[in-house]
Amino acid sequence: MTSIGTGYDLSASTYSPDGRIFQVEYANKAVENSGTAIGLRVKDGVVLAVEKLVHSKLLVPGANRRIQTIDRHIGLATAGLLADGRSISNRARDEGASIRSTFHEQATVKAISQRLGMFAQAYTLYSSVRPFGISTIIGGVDKNGPSLYIIEPSGVCLGYHGAAVGKGRQLAKTELEKLKLSELSTREAVMEAARIIYLVHDDNKEKEFELEMSWIGSETNNLHVPVPSDLLKEAETKAKDALENFE
Amino acid sequence: MDHFPTNWGRPRNDAFDAYGTHPIHQRPYNGPKDAFADGVQHTQQPIVTGTSVLAIKYKDGIMMAADNLASYGSLARFKDVQRLCPVGQYTVIGAGGDMSDFQYIQHIMEELTIDENSAQDGHELGPVEIHEYMSQVMYARRSKMDPLWNSLIIGGFKDGKRFLSYVDLLGTTYSASTLATGYGSYIAQPLLRKAVEGYEDILTEEDARKVLENSMRVLFYRDARSLNKYQIATITSAGVNISDSLHLETSWSFAEGIRGYGAQTQ
Amino acid sequence: MPDMAALAHPQQRQFNPYSENGGTILAIAGADFSVIAGDTRQSEGYSIQTRYAPKVFRLTDRAVLAVNGFAADGNMFVKKVKQRLEWYRHAHAKDMPLRAIARLIQTMLYARRFFPYYVYNILGGIEEDGTGAVYSFDPVGSYEREACRAAGAASSLVQPFLDNQIYFKNQRPAAGTSHPAHLPLPTVLSIVIDSFTSATERHIEVGDGLEMYVVLAKGRTLQGLEGIRGMQELTATEDGERVFIVRRDLKRD
Repeated sequence: MTSIGTGYDLSASTYSPDGRIFQVEYANKAVENSGTAIGLRVKDGVVLAVEKLVHSKLLVPGANRRIQTIDRHIGLATAGLLADGRSISNRARDEGASIRSTFHEQATVKAISQRLGMFAQAYTLYSSVRPFGISTIIGGVDKNGPSLYIIEPSGVCLGYHGAAVGKGRQLAKTELEKLKLSELSTREAVMEAARIIYLVHDDNKEKEFELEMSWIGSETNNLHVPVPSDLLKEAETKAKDALENFE
Repeated sequence: MDHFPTNWGRPRNDAFDAYGTHPIHQRPYNGPKDAFADGVQHTQQPIVTGTSVLAIKYKDGIMMAADNLASYGSLARFKDVQRLCPVGQYTVIGAGGDMSDFQYIQHIMEELTIDENSAQDGHELGPVEIHEYMSQVMYARRSKMDPLWNSLIIGGFKDGKRFLSYVDLLGTTYSASTLATGYGSYIAQPLLRKAVEGYEDILTEEDARKVLENSMRVLFYRDARSLNKYQIATITSAGVNISDSLHLETSWSFAEGIRGYGAQTQ
Repeated sequence: MPDMAALAHPQQRQFNPYSENGGTILAIAGADFSVIAGDTRQSEGYSIQTRYAPKVFRLTDRAVLAVNGFAADGNMFVKKVKQRLEWYRHAHAKDMPLRAIARLIQTMLYARRFFPYYVYNILGGIEEDGTGAVYSFDPVGSYEREACRAAGAASSLVQPFLDNQIYFKNQRPAAGTSHPAHLPLPTVLSIVIDSFTSATERHIEVGDGLEMYVVLAKGRTLQGLEGIRGMQELTATEDGERVFIVRRDLKRD
């Protein structure tokens, strides 16, 4: 952390002499502390999965969702500060509604992602604000088929076949690269997503976690909905089995 | 605090300077301005209109009917307009009156259902909630003297309960086991009441369909702003179903013998 | 041929935000009870919109409000009054007294002096001193406490009848007797029922159903309510004021 004490890290509106914005990099640290979130763009849909770390046994199961619905056909998962995730999903909903009312058609995932990118980027320009402490995975099925994007704290917005953010992203990415994503069905992707989340979860450091999963595809009539509990349970069982064989 | 001493200690009158303290200060107004204040026009009358909507309770739920015509005055302008629209999983709204206002209502409902769905809080809007919401919208707009020029019938089925209710441009609401808007309230309502009142739990889907079809036929015979192309919606425990456009069978041969209709005979 | 001379001049048409939905309401106060009633027909012009749309509403355990005129305004007004009473309960942990509700209604009505709620209100119930009371209002809030009042479509039929039967107008007591100050409950109920059956006969906007609310003062026995057909209690406890509702059919033609 060479940045500390130099004074260049106190404001998002000041570059360091070597051209970096430390506040944005610190925001990325906030993301790295968070439970992993992944997204899979497959043949006929998109699957989002989150390793939701349960920091207290007193929490009601299912509380503090990190996957949100944006529009009928779009979902979003975040890694980082929970409240920032809520803020960005509210913004995404407004953008979706605005596009819908202007053009009288469903917003594309690309359009919303790019607007979210612009939104996040605006928070890297001023000394009075702090960049979003989240990376956002946004996925959905629109007129162009399934699509998946990541928006980073810097405002960078890129499309992916497979996406991973948060603590376990490195391992998750390696696992995602092994898959033939464009040939998987959404149902198969649910199994893979569950397996990857269980795989990247570090038992030694964090004890409890909840697997949160949603999907959009032909099986859900192209609606973004949570993965049904029976399928979720099946995926979790398979994931646990795979984990034992993996080691 | 008024910073203009000439205004102090006496009643204000911008038009007339009773105390002769020339000049009267014309103070600049810096409050919020409405640039279109003089030009705002509110709906005075409907333009492209739909006619009657009919709805009844029956054994399994609610059945509704409306034809596919949107008139421009007396001109049959659009003949493939859908005036029954599903809202969420359990509700259908049927609209008479101004069709552009109805499209606006559909937009509101679309936005509402998306917002509710996005909340993912386990709550779903049923016909009761949607009717209450629309009542508040319609009443608020009439109170702004800028009404949405419609008569709406809201029918639904949720948690094993039928729901059928009305709201119009004045915000007037009511429920009954048979409802009809516009010309249908004069022509069809008596037929519906005779067929339905007291038989709400007996009438089968087939019976209900017959009652509505017959009423739509009578309306087509008698209402000059109606069409022989219509749709039927059912809302039951199985959910919402809105039919494709149906064609009314009509017979005009009886007119042959009537003086003034057919070929003139002594 | 349209009147071209009339068309040549500029015309103004304005949206009319009001309607009139018929029906009649009525309330009579006794010494230690109050009866508030209304028919359930809602109409517009010659059309019956529905045979059951309540016009009488229980506000608290000792206050009942009847609303008649433009139904949309009426429902909105009742909704807002109930909301204010709920806020009062949250603030003071008790129900608002009747006379306070009456003044509240005046303020709420007068607040809309220049775009009035087109409704006639009659508030009935029990005062804090245990007496039966009726308050009647005009659409912009002017009000008074009375022993009885009829309002709505058939008020011009019912009110003179009440003047005669309740206030004994145009009646002379038999020699050596005087008119009673308060009538007993069974007599009042008969007068209410008779008022509505008669109004139903003579006024096309009245009929279908009758809803009568009876509010009894704290500690009063049910004396006078025995054997009343179709009666139902709305209050949960017997230690305060008690509210009952009686439903009757009226002719539907």
